[in-house]
Amino acid sequence: MIELKNVTKVYPTRHGANVVLRDISATFPAMINYGILGRNGAGKSTLLRILAGTEHPDDGSVTRRGRISWPIGFGGGFSGALTGEENSKFVARVYGVDVDQALGFALEFSELGDYFSMPVRTYSSGMRARLAFALSMAVDFDVYLVDEVTAVGDSQFQAKCKRAFDERRNRSSVLIVSHNMGTIKSYCQRAAVLRNGKLLQFDSVAEAAKVYKA
Amino acid sequence: MHGLVVQLQVIHALIMREIKTRFGTHRLGYVWALVEPSLWILTFAGLYWLMGRLSPPGMDVVPFIATGIVPFLLFRGTSSRNVSAIASNKGLLFYPRIRPLDLAIARTILEFATCVMVFVVLLGAYVLLTGHSKFESSLKILLGLGLAAGLGAGVGMSFAGLSVFAQVFERLHNPLIRPLFWTSAVFYPLNAVPSSARDLLLYNPLVHAVELVRDGWFTGYHSRYINAWYPGLWTLGLLFLGLTVERAARRRLQLS
Repeated sequence: MIELKNVTKVYPTRHGANVVLRDISATFPAMINYGILGRNGAGKSTLLRILAGTEHPDDGSVTRRGRISWPIGFGGGFSGALTGEENSKFVARVYGVDVDQALGFALEFSELGDYFSMPVRTYSSGMRARLAFALSMAVDFDVYLVDEVTAVGDSQFQAKCKRAFDERRNRSSVLIVSHNMGTIKSYCQRAAVLRNGKLLQFDSVAEAAKVYKA
Repeated sequence: MHGLVVQLQVIHALIMREIKTRFGTHRLGYVWALVEPSLWILTFAGLYWLMGRLSPPGMDVVPFIATGIVPFLLFRGTSSRNVSAIASNKGLLFYPRIRPLDLAIARTILEFATCVMVFVVLLGAYVLLTGHSKFESSLKILLGLGLAAGLGAGVGMSFAGLSVFAQVFERLHNPLIRPLFWTSAVFYPLNAVPSSARDLLLYNPLVHAVELVRDGWFTGYHSRYINAWYPGLWTLGLLFLGLTVERAARRRLQLS
């Protein structure tokens, strides 16, 4: 479960302060797949990083219960000079999971093959994303915070991710931010729309879709 | 309790990663850590020989310089690695489990461990070659090295925090540290310094750490004027300053 209380985030820009999140309060209960819809630049990724704890709100508080993932998506957090294997080892150690098991899983799930022992800087963005995704699956999180699954690999790999999430339905949930209605529909039971720094929450994805399209 | 376990896991992971990025994948990488102190020892041994001068009575040149240069390099290394700890590892803050303080702790521990090894290897080799196997107190040596690392961590963290507010601090660090090489009794024994200059040198906390190591090694050298509490209090004060500035700077640490 993640709870936001009066969360505000402001970025200073050349043209004055840009309020990305304005006094947002929301509860994301465990075991419910939740989608957050927003146009490009609406502050989705900022919200996701604040939920994860990678970034801190300027005002308000965030309460987390259970194991919450880092923001999964474009594969930030890798060192280009280290190999996929070395990066995986590091993440496994940081999250206190068995290193050998995590390495085996990441190699298998990411389908990187020989690239696993090559420096990450030689990877394409799709390969990075696949490794990031595989690694997050190697750690058992209660809540997976995902940024735009549509960016992760090809359609075949996306189907694999979907299956992996479905398999762990009864022990973990997903919170996805996306601009793509289809993604949210296929994963989530509930959704919210992020617009003008406000989070509009709905009990069903259909209701959120109506407002998002409008 | 859980928080402590998480922090230990994170620090362990950071140290292992740092070893890889710093010393490379070859075992030989560790040898590089020995190069700088060895060069200093050779330089001073050469200078002494050229000047026809002997090292201070009762102190062979190798352990004399080693006991001075290792704590100094430990201080300097810990400090400069702490200054860049956040900037060069900013990407790792992507993982919410890793906090800026963990980066500082990991680098300090690794620097301390490396310098203790360097000390053991250099003086171990000296002992094997000369048969002078007596040293006075390993506790004093470790305390001196610990204080050098602590002072370095405090200075480095303070500069790291301040440079989040003003970049210039990052650049000021090295020039401001440099005079300490000459004023920290690295290549002269404090007891031999005239009292007027000595009273000034004693304000420098690093002098106390260096002399503690030297006093701990040589059975025949008793450093009369030092006090371990003095650099200890400096360390606490600097760490407090560093942590305070880090806390204030935390919100400014944006991931780009």
